[in-house]
Amino acid sequence: MAAPKMSVGKPTVDRLPCNTTSFQKKSRSKLVSIPGTRPSIQNGQLIVSTGVTSLDYVIGGGLAVGTLLLIEEDRYDSYSRMLFKYFLAEGVVCGHELYVASALDHPNDILQELPAPILDDIASPKTVEDQAKSCDPESQDAMKIAWRYQHLPKVQTALASSSRFGHYYDVSKTMDPEICQAARCHGFYLPEHSTAVTSPTATTSGQSPMPETYSSLLNNLQEVIHREGFDGSVPQTKSRNILRIGLHSLGSALWDDDLCCRENPSHGHALTTFLYGLRAMLRSSLSVAVVTVPSHLIQNRALMGNITRLCDTAIALESFRGSERETNPLYKDYHGLLDVRQLPYLNCLVCDLPDNKDLAFKLKRKQFTIERLHLPPDLSETVSRVSRGELTGTAMVGSSGCGSGSTGNRHLDF
Amino acid sequence: MLLEVLQGTEAGGFILIQDSVNYCGRHLLKSCINTALKREEVVHVLGFEVSQEELNDGLDRTSAQRLHFHNAYSDPLGWTGNSPFTVHQFTLEDISTLLKQTPQAKAVTLVIDSLSWILRHHDPAAICQKLQALKKGGVVRAVIGLLHSDLHQRGTVGSICHLATSVITVAPGTRGLGAFAKITRRTKSGKLMQDEEIFSINEDLTVTIQSKRSHPGSTPMNTDESEVDPTANLTFNLRLSDTQREAKEKLPLPFVFSKEKKSALLHPGTGSGRILYEPDANDDYDQEDPDDDLDV
Repeated sequence: MAAPKMSVGKPTVDRLPCNTTSFQKKSRSKLVSIPGTRPSIQNGQLIVSTGVTSLDYVIGGGLAVGTLLLIEEDRYDSYSRMLFKYFLAEGVVCGHELYVASALDHPNDILQELPAPILDDIASPKTVEDQAKSCDPESQDAMKIAWRYQHLPKVQTALASSSRFGHYYDVSKTMDPEICQAARCHGFYLPEHSTAVTSPTATTSGQSPMPETYSSLLNNLQEVIHREGFDGSVPQTKSRNILRIGLHSLGSALWDDDLCCRENPSHGHALTTFLYGLRAMLRSSLSVAVVTVPSHLIQNRALMGNITRLCDTAIALESFRGSERETNPLYKDYHGLLDVRQLPYLNCLVCDLPDNKDLAFKLKRKQFTIERLHLPPDLSETVSRVSRGELTGTAMVGSSGCGSGSTGNRHLDF
Repeated sequence: MLLEVLQGTEAGGFILIQDSVNYCGRHLLKSCINTALKREEVVHVLGFEVSQEELNDGLDRTSAQRLHFHNAYSDPLGWTGNSPFTVHQFTLEDISTLLKQTPQAKAVTLVIDSLSWILRHHDPAAICQKLQALKKGGVVRAVIGLLHSDLHQRGTVGSICHLATSVITVAPGTRGLGAFAKITRRTKSGKLMQDEEIFSINEDLTVTIQSKRSHPGSTPMNTDESEVDPTANLTFNLRLSDTQREAKEKLPLPFVFSKEKKSALLHPGTGSGRILYEPDANDDYDQEDPDDDLDV
């Protein structure tokens, strides 16, 4: 297991160089070189970082340009909002343009809360020199019996790739306003754009496939893409750039969509039509989109499956805050679970699935880490016995009660 | 935390009291109104479910002029044609005109009794948008609403709770001690605080907290079985005294090497194969070759 290399980059305030791998193809590459992007190792697509390096690793290196990432929000929208802000902050640091749409908070308020980037590489992972330093003679007493294993690296629970792509952010500080203003941002705040909020009870259910809010958002987005030339309409006067689109909390009641309120919503296909149009627009322009959906409020599972299928990459967050899992000792180091629901097959037959599906995340001050969830060895006697007894108990109940009618707690003794 | 929520309403706050058929949350709502009146605030009540007399019963009489009750109880749907307040008037413009009718100098607290009534006659998505506009609009300082959670679908209740800054869910307490409240509060910075308390409401509508952090519903599995200590009642001694423990820890383990040997093994030299031998205490290290005296 190789320890990750420390990359040597000289960061400046306005334009930070992207850290490419040391492998350089000799052939002239047909791909455009846009700051903040690099070709993917797996399928050659142009990818951007999501702002969280562990998340980049989980979804296969990064977000491909022209695709859509769906984040299913956790119950109180704390960690999904953090991921949303990381995505926008990465756009500011790389010099991309931003487009933020929200119905709850004004986009300017969201942009003022972005985390500050760590520019001098303090939070890079430990290198080989650090490991060699730690095993000087004084600390050899750390392991009395198994001292031969002191030099072997510990089991890697944190997911990281061998080359750095993306930046680290300090959550406790907000981004400098100068850096923020250097980036061009387009905002869409729904109360400013909505024309008529009062809902007529009878009429417009059959007229348009999606409500006013989604269609106005889609029109606005198309207008911005066309005007700024992300779809190739403007001739090559200036260098090309990527548009990062962040759509917060789509499908919630504030977007005039009762997908979250009812089991059989009246505009059942509103969000799916919107996502279809959005994806078509993304494919034909140099842009990346992140959409968060409050999926814990959506009762109709079939609709949620449709929404997932219409996005390219889909992840779901489940935080332990407020649920009974908070006190579970297995989860005490983590803040929640992360589930990768879908990964795209972009111009290839297979996609790089993560080898371990049990992932948990932890929000530290300088890093949002996603780790493999390791179950500790089950050392206590009672736990395994109860589970075996329960299994046999239920099996006996199922088989028409033959044998002794054991309750869940009685364990079998041999 | 219940008292903090009832007393400290910051601007732009939306407190939601969620009850069910098992326990009515209106007493807690009245205690909220009382606390707001004592804080010298102007309170406007949109009453859909109970009449004015029933709501005013028990409230502080001295500050009655700061309490304005808008009667939506007698004719909520406007059938008679001249109703003081109908359910269709629940919009930002109508509420603003209503609030401007009564002159106030300080902040206004709007109490809605109950949100369930309005949700039955309007689209839930539209109600969420109106509540959000009320929260952000600056017309009212705080909104307090009562919601009967068993009257609506889970998605609707969830959507309204998502908008609220504090949610108090009340349930009947076990063993007749009082009622059980679960409070969830979100601060402006995004921090989340949760608490569970048992409370009771006195005659003068003040809330007393009886105990905190008790879970009436959860039964931990292993409280009944006490751990039987196997080292008790034995004819031999399994425990160590302190001196015995110290002697045990001082005992050198058989394969513990000295520091030099460990470091030599951990950092191998330049590839030369050397045999490092350190004689143990019991070894008889004799340099002589024992085969020397063989006469062959």
